[in-house]
Amino acid sequence: MHIVVCMKQVPRDNSVKINSDLSINADGIEKIINLFDEYAIEEGLAWNEKHGGKLTVLSMGSDEWVEQMRRALAMGATDSLLLKDASFANLDTLAAAKVVATAIKKLGDVDLVFCGRNSTDDESGAFAPALARALGWAQLTYVGKVLEVDPAGKKVTAERHLETVIETVTASLPAVVSVIKDINNPRYPSLLKIKKVAKIQPPVWTAADLGVSGLSAAATISSRVPPPPRPSGEIIDGPDAAAKVRKLVDKLLENQII
Amino acid sequence: MAGVLVYIEQVGGDVAAVSRELMGKGQELAASLGGPLNALVVGGDVAGLANQAAALGAATVYTVSDASLATYTTDGHVAAAIAAVGAAQPALMLASASFQMRDFGAALAADLDAGLAVDVTDLKVEGGAVSAVRPSHGGNVINTYTFAAGRTVVALVRKQSFAEAAGGASGGTVTSLPLPATTMRTQVSNVAPKTGAVNLTDAAIIVSGGRGLSDKDNYYKLIPPLAEALGGAYGASRAIVDAGWVPYEHQVGQTGKTVSPKLYVAAGVSGAIQHLAGMRTSRNIVAINKDPEAPMFRVATFGLVGDVNEVLPLLTAELRQRLGR
Repeated sequence: MHIVVCMKQVPRDNSVKINSDLSINADGIEKIINLFDEYAIEEGLAWNEKHGGKLTVLSMGSDEWVEQMRRALAMGATDSLLLKDASFANLDTLAAAKVVATAIKKLGDVDLVFCGRNSTDDESGAFAPALARALGWAQLTYVGKVLEVDPAGKKVTAERHLETVIETVTASLPAVVSVIKDINNPRYPSLLKIKKVAKIQPPVWTAADLGVSGLSAAATISSRVPPPPRPSGEIIDGPDAAAKVRKLVDKLLENQII
Repeated sequence: MAGVLVYIEQVGGDVAAVSRELMGKGQELAASLGGPLNALVVGGDVAGLANQAAALGAATVYTVSDASLATYTTDGHVAAAIAAVGAAQPALMLASASFQMRDFGAALAADLDAGLAVDVTDLKVEGGAVSAVRPSHGGNVINTYTFAAGRTVVALVRKQSFAEAAGGASGGTVTSLPLPATTMRTQVSNVAPKTGAVNLTDAAIIVSGGRGLSDKDNYYKLIPPLAEALGGAYGASRAIVDAGWVPYEHQVGQTGKTVSPKLYVAAGVSGAIQHLAGMRTSRNIVAINKDPEAPMFRVATFGLVGDVNEVLPLLTAELRQRLGR
């Protein structure tokens, strides 16, 4: 079977700055694979090892992302594909999902797509559902356990871990599955494997290759600011821990916080 | 296109608090958009909820009722919503930002080619255009997105962003719509409550522990009893979840849960940027740490410098005595 894992590169932490044109400035912050996507890669690898075939790691971004794609290759992905075009730079999630759907359709033989539940920078979680709808495929989001992938029976069964319940759901293949953090333990690629893939250049598909044009974001960003500072707090003083604790409880009661 | 359509969620047969909040804000937004406030109830049995939604101020409550809709599926519920959007032609569709509604809302927006804003904390209408405020980057960036008029906007709103509708309205009508023919690509075979479920996002008080607690035994010796004395839930930093002390379910932060309780007690949690991302909007924060330079003190309402191993047992005992628990 052919599994695709969608991968995004993100800053390691979110201490980003805002440029004067309201774009996000993550200069100087190390770039990593989006944490949830690492679990998606591991899940894809596990089912690829069971059923054979191809595992393609797919990313939409710039050449800068190739390093993270190589990490996925070192983990065991068999193929890679980079979607790169100046017109992809400022798309919103729905438009980006349309581009990725076009690429997956062009690959032609894909049975299953794994994504992370959301990216840790944009945090919307909209990509996987939008991708599934653009493809016209089933979607299983917030998956904490994939119970069975049955390429012959064209079925995938998984547990969706929601806030208070766990749903067991079977979807027809092809399907898009988004995974949460505790689904597996992503492997560390060995140095040998990292060396082996160090020179791989992922194939690149542009907007022209995909035949997509005229995509735009549905909204304009009218303001982008840091959060308002919290009012300054109070350090509880006292001669010893017991006195401080009594004073803290006094404050919590006085202010009707408890 | 005019007005607002609110997707009503239910808890145990009653309209969920977040849906009452959306009906409250929806009234104001519908007036600014020059259209009605309508509601949508989808499910197996919709009569009770429809009446409740009408009492919350809906001019028309659209219902889509079918045995296949008793349990949520993307295909079924999106098809029902598309039927209602066709009938109501809303400028703005509102639902909560729960996991299920993110599954639903993003799929709906994709099908409608609508605008989409997820995890919205405020909404405005100016000159017929909808603006949605949403944090990103772990709360370090507050974005305002403005959507051009003329295309429906789907906004998935964070709980407790708005005041609830008062209720007691009369004069609303209920219109039943048929479920359009749709291919159901998923089948739900079981829905089980999470065992020992900790719905941190609903808790009014959360006590979280971190590396400062030294080990797993100390975490369980000190944190759950304090949470219990306060009548709250207990959370954890990523460091101790990754170290295997506490299940992921309890993790607060960028790759865990985002919480905004009335009181957040951070005990031995230094306050890494990824943790602050998940709790900095809490109304009150108490930081307890032996390191006075810990970043958590910079966001704390009350800070107590001290060793958690000494402070927490005293605090739990004091609270039990003073609160009579």
